[in-house]
Amino acid sequence: MKRGRADRTLIVAGVATIALGALALLDQTGTIDVRFDYMLPAVLAAIGVVLLSAGLGE
Amino acid sequence: MSEQRPATTSPPPPLRRAPASGYIGGVCAGFAARLGIDPILIRIGFVLTLLAGGAGIPLYVIGWALIPAEGPERPVVSRLLTRRDTWLVAAGMACLTLAAVLLLRQWGVWFSDRLTWPLVIVAAGGALIWRQSQAAPEAREDKAQLPREAVNRVGIGVALVVGGALLFLSLNDSSVRDAVLPVAVALIAVTIILAPWWVRLVRGLDAERAARIRSQERAEVAAHLHDSVLQTLALVQKRADDPREVAALARRQERELRAWLNNTRPAGTATLAGALESAAAEVESDHHVPIEVVTVGDAPLDERATALVAATREALVNASKFAGPEPISLYAEVEDGRAEVFVRDRGPGFDPEAAPADRRGVRDSIIARMQRHGGTATIHSTPGTGTEVELVMSS
Repeated sequence: MKRGRADRTLIVAGVATIALGALALLDQTGTIDVRFDYMLPAVLAAIGVVLLSAGLGE
Repeated sequence: MSEQRPATTSPPPPLRRAPASGYIGGVCAGFAARLGIDPILIRIGFVLTLLAGGAGIPLYVIGWALIPAEGPERPVVSRLLTRRDTWLVAAGMACLTLAAVLLLRQWGVWFSDRLTWPLVIVAAGGALIWRQSQAAPEAREDKAQLPREAVNRVGIGVALVVGGALLFLSLNDSSVRDAVLPVAVALIAVTIILAPWWVRLVRGLDAERAARIRSQERAEVAAHLHDSVLQTLALVQKRADDPREVAALARRQERELRAWLNNTRPAGTATLAGALESAAAEVESDHHVPIEVVTVGDAPLDERATALVAATREALVNASKFAGPEPISLYAEVEDGRAEVFVRDRGPGFDPEAAPADRRGVRDSIIARMQRHGGTATIHSTPGTGTEVELVMSS
């Protein structure tokens, strides 16, 4: 795979996925209470960050 | 004796989806090929995950997005994320904005659904129009019409702005404001749609003006180099057998260039008449031709007058090359801010229309220079009757 932009973007995507997964896990364990009203913006923000990373990276 | 054969274990094949042999996207078949087991075992595991809460479905989707299919095709995610267009940035900004709006709504920092959602839609459309209107102006000018993709983006932006405006109007229906509100909303929508293009037009005009100024400055430098350095070099070649004169020419040229670079003016040339007489004296000295100077009236030596002097000097140099022993006549008259200069010689004359294109003296140093500073230059000459250069600079 070509290195550079795609790699960095995939890293950002991975970090965003881990963050979302951690939120979901903490919600499942009862540590925090993440309602859908907050989870939806979080998912949107994660997607937005990944898309921006792909679009602005060179 | 037993012969030991080297182990020939081939590396496992890279992980690839196998859509041709799979039922959905070929993810299970790809894993099976990678692990060297029967695909049915992977599929049974997938079905078991479905029974245990359905975790296999998102995992399958992730695998489909990240694992490339057989052949040269790149993964879906990689193909999406390496697209070289502005959609990614626009979509990313849209997602972040939507997330922020949802959070604000959740926290109660909110005006009203009737105002905020139309505003968000209009803002998205305006951003799209703005982005497209400012993008790559050079590339677009090469084409006779806008590319289809650009038209589509602008169309979507306009549709979002209009849709947001209509949504606002439908959500804020009030009989009291019926007459005023639609007009105001329509005006705002039209402004949002047209403002980016207006800004682009203004910027384009500014850029065009800057380019024109740069072009004029280049032309000024070229004309000055032609009139000074190139003319002096030509004289140096002509007087190569007289080292003292060559040295004097070089010294004078050096002084002149330094004065030009430092933007200083030689003493005694503070007025137009003085500068014309000084230029005539220089040409007379360099080219050994008599020049009769008559000046009537005077004016301060501003930028336009300096250009007039430079054009006159070039006309004198040209005349000195062809006038022969006959004196050259320089007549200048300044009255009410209008300066007229006539340079006459009794040389063989020439046809101005038939002058070679590479002769920059008349075309660039006289005519174009006068035009750049708002003046005119006219050459009156026919073969056999001499030449008169008429230079006019009005205030």
